[in-house]
This record gives sequence, structure tokens and C-alpha cells, in this order.
Amino acid sequence: MSAVAAGIFGFFLMVVLMLIGLPIAAVMLLLGMIGGMAAFGDAFLISSASVAWGTMSENGLTSIPLFVLLGELLLRSGMADRMYMVFAAWLGRLPGGLLHTNIGCCALFAATSGSSVATAATIGTVALPSLKKRGYPMRESLGSIAAGGTLGILIPPSINFIIYGSMTNTSVGKLFIAGIVPGLLLAGLFMVWIYVSSVVRKLDVAYDEVPFAERVRLLKHLVEPLIVFGIVIGSLYTGVATATESASLGVIAGLIFIIAGGRFSLSLMQNCFLSSARTSGIILFIVVGAFVLNLALSLTGIGEALTKWATSFGLGRVSLLMLLIVFYLILGMFMDTLSMMVATIPLTFPVVSAAGVDPIWFGVFIVIMCELGLITPPVGMNLYVVQGIRSDGGPISDVIMGSIPYAIIMILFTIVLIVFPQLVTWLPNLMRGA
Amino acid sequence: MKRLEGIAATLFGLAFLLLSFAVAVETIGRKVFNVSLQGVDELGGYVLAVGSAMAMLVALAGRAHVRIDLLHDLMPRSLRILLNSISIFAIALSAVVLVRMAHIAWSDSISYNSTAQTPWATPLKYPQGLWLASLALFALFACVLAAKLIASLARGDFEGIDRDFSPKGTKDELAEELEDIQARGAVAQATLPGSAKP
Repeated sequence: MSAVAAGIFGFFLMVVLMLIGLPIAAVMLLLGMIGGMAAFGDAFLISSASVAWGTMSENGLTSIPLFVLLGELLLRSGMADRMYMVFAAWLGRLPGGLLHTNIGCCALFAATSGSSVATAATIGTVALPSLKKRGYPMRESLGSIAAGGTLGILIPPSINFIIYGSMTNTSVGKLFIAGIVPGLLLAGLFMVWIYVSSVVRKLDVAYDEVPFAERVRLLKHLVEPLIVFGIVIGSLYTGVATATESASLGVIAGLIFIIAGGRFSLSLMQNCFLSSARTSGIILFIVVGAFVLNLALSLTGIGEALTKWATSFGLGRVSLLMLLIVFYLILGMFMDTLSMMVATIPLTFPVVSAAGVDPIWFGVFIVIMCELGLITPPVGMNLYVVQGIRSDGGPISDVIMGSIPYAIIMILFTIVLIVFPQLVTWLPNLMRGA
Repeated sequence: MKRLEGIAATLFGLAFLLLSFAVAVETIGRKVFNVSLQGVDELGGYVLAVGSAMAMLVALAGRAHVRIDLLHDLMPRSLRILLNSISIFAIALSAVVLVRMAHIAWSDSISYNSTAQTPWATPLKYPQGLWLASLALFALFACVLAAKLIASLARGDFEGIDRDFSPKGTKDELAEELEDIQARGAVAQATLPGSAKP
């Protein structure tokens, strides 16, 4: 079997094993191990030993559990719950009202990277009762929460960027900064859509008239999350701190706010520890599996052969990326998004690099593809989370239909980024030392 | 088992909390006062190595390692049990492979007296020894789970297998989150003052 055939066969085998429900991380680790040992015997085990130590003690990856811990602290201490109220008071009067609140809140919430189920569940739980009470149409409400919940992995800090950076040797700091403009633009486009569709359909809903003074007073609830966000992103942007350092500063700042606000308790900490350990364990196991698989692909030459094969078609940058949108759209319908990302980077990154695509830009591209995967059925995690929160017992097709406009916006937005890559690369290029 | 999960999670959390404190002090010290506690980077790597093994154990105890459950729920029970069995064995085997890798790395460090390429020049056998031990705990835990599954199979306790070894779907995870949301009174926190009347 040629290396290309072996690679394609291996990839399909892997996807099938994942789809029938075997643990993603173990599938990658064991397939990599079997392939590597078939080619090199014990020598592969020995080289993978140093890769395993290198990966599991890599300082850059240390930021993953730290950012997860930061997210859990902010979420479980209730800091995020109060943010919803502020957005409701300020955005509730726009056409589309509280639907904007969902998007705005999700965008700011993105500054936390705890469990994504926890994030979507929180926003959904606090938002749905108000939406229902004020007569918002169900589909649109559910769709805005499911779609808003995807913004978290694009707006920094984002675990997906840390892993992408580590797998491709790309600066995590720059990836974080690169996510800001597209993340805000995408949130803005979601809000434009809500505005336009509400005006066109003459959506008429009740809203709470909050006096201006009260609205200003409410802004104090944004101070804490904005300071934490400012510390994390500011220290990265100015080059003062690495990802791990900025995460640590964020954790300490978050903890100070929790203690100062009288919200500190042992049970809160225990909760945060348990869920951040769990989330980190899931992620790190997948990362280790992906590194072993990656090693097997590169040592056996399969990765290189596949790259050569793919580049031999002579696709230009634009057609290659359009093809990848279709590839990720389909894969994202069926796969867990983080797994999709780590399983495909070893194959797609070398190909797009050879086509001259900027590695930072591609990081943003792949994360938007992951976002898309979160709301495309049949396996779109956010769809199920949002469906799980509603109490009216309606069908999941409501959530799916409500999310479709947002999925279309994401795809169109990606095409805009392909045409204007500067939207992504502009801000990180301004960074110090860039 | 539940206690081990709790202990591992607490160790994990405390380790990273202390680490973030050390890193924050180091970062501020270096940037503001120009004083550097050298080696905090290195410490971070070791905490990650040991912490990730603990975290993988906690995730396993919570049936949280990602499995796509799209087809799982549609399958007949016999097929589900087969897949759940393969899954726990695959995790146990992966854990054993990781232990073997850690063992190779550790014994190499001992035989070559390897030290880290850092100002501390830490003899690698110490952090790698801890890493090996924590991975061994993870592997042991996975093997105990696999043994439990075999025992359930032998007893014919198929319901127990469905309950204890099925992937934890979004549904279960969500149920836990909703409990937490209720416990912290999130809805009340997020409600505008004066909006109680519809």
C-alpha cells in the first residue's frame, strides 16, 4: 500500500472508530501507536516516550488548565450571571431586544474558558425564562443562544487556540489577539441579523424600561469581568506575559474579586477544582493522543506523502480553502469539534502552509470551522445543550432551524476572511515583537 | 472510587492554584521590580505533567472522556455493551501505554543522569518519577474499571454496564450543570430589579 493510500485508509478508519462511539483520545493514541510500531517496532515506543514527556511538561500547555480554572471561577462564583442583567438593561430596547443580550453576553462570556456546556447552560437558563415571559418566538431565541455560545472559542482566551498553537508551533499570544477582530465582527454580524430580521418581521415584544441612572449603576457588574479580561488580554498584547503567565494573573485577579466580594467558600473551590480537573483531563488526554498520532504520521512519512499528494492537484489558495470549508462543514456535523481540530491539523496544516496560507490566519479559520460544528446537526453540542434547557418540551428542530441563519452567516463570514485575510492578520501584526 | 476522584481533583486544583500564584508573583516581580524567581516556567511544566494524569483520572471517573454518542443510543443493548467494553479496555490500554512511555523516559533519565536544560538543572528522574507514579495511578484506576466491567459481564448485570460505562451524554452533563446553576441562584442574580412583574 502506498503511503497516501495508507494515510487515507487510516484517516477513514479513525473517523469510523470515533463515530461508533469509542473514546476519541484512545482511538488516536492507539492508532498512532499501532501504525508507528508496525513501521518501526520498539524504536517508535522509545521516540514517543520523549514526545510524551515533552508534550505533557510543555510550559505552553500549562495555560490550558489555568484558563479552564479561571473560567470555572468566574462562572461558578456568579460573576457571569450578573453580566446578563447589564446587557438586558442596555440592549433590551433594540429591535430584537433580548436576543441581542444573548449574543452580547455570550461574547463577553467568551472571556472565560470553562466547560462550554456550563457556559451555554448558564446563559440559556438565565435567558430563556425572560425571553418566554416577554413573548419572544422560540426558534429565534434558541438559535441566538446556541449560536452565541459558539463565540467563546474564537474570542480569547481560547483553549482551541492554545492547542492549535502547540501543534503547529504558532504563537498562542498572536492567535489570541488574532481572534479578537473576527470574534467581535462575527458577534456584530449576528446582531445585525437579529436587528434586520426583527424589523422585517415586525417582532413586537415587551421590554423593561430601565431608567438611565439605573442602567449606569448596573454597569458596575461589568467591572470585574472586564478587569480580568483586560489583565489577560492586555498582558498578552503588550508582550508582558506569555499565555501561561497571563492565565495565572487572571486566576489570581479572579480569586481576589471572589474573596473581596465575600463569595469565597470551600464548596465553591471544590466545585471549581472538580469541574476544571474534569474538563482539563478530557482536553489533555485528546492532546496526548493527537501528539502520538502526529508523531506516527511524520515518522512514517505518511503526513508528507499526503501533503505532496494534496498539493499535486495544484489548487490555488482560494479553491483549497473553499474545499476545506466543505470538508470541515461535513466533518463537523458528525464529530466533536475539539477532536475534529486535533485529528485534522496534522493533515490540513502542512497542505495549507504549502499553499502559502498564513498560520495565524489558518488558526482562526479552523476555529470558526469548529464553531460551525457546534451548531450543525446531527452532532452539534450547543444544539443539544440549548434543547436540554428549554422547559416547553418542543422538538429539537426548533433549535436547529433557529441556528441555521447563524451557520450561514459563519460560512459567509469565513469567505469574507478568505478574500480579506487582513481582517485576521492586521491586529497581531501590530503586536510588539511581531 | 468517588473519594479518589475527589482527592485527585483537589490535588489538581491546589497545584494549579499555587502554580498560578507563583507565576503571578514571578511575572510581576520580573516586570515591575526586575527581580526574577528563576525556574517557575520549569515548575509549570512539571505541575502539568503530574496534574494532567490526575485530571485524566478525574475525567475517567466522571465518564467524561469524549465519545460520540450519536449512534450509541440507537444501538441494541448487546452492541452497546460490546462498544462500552471496548471503550474501557481502549482507555486502560492507552493508560498502560502512557505508563510504559513514562517508564522509558524515567529509566533513560536515570541511566544518563539527565538534567533539565534550565537554570535549575533539575535531575529529570525526580519530576519524571512523579509523572510515572501519577500515570500509574491513572492506569491502575482504568484497569480496576475494566475489571469491574468484566465482573458485571460475568454476573450478567447488563443494566449496570449500561449505567456505569455508557458515555456521559450532553444530557447528564447538563443535568449536573443545571443543579449548580440552581444552587448558586443564577436566575435571581440575572433578573433586573423591578422586572418581577411581567
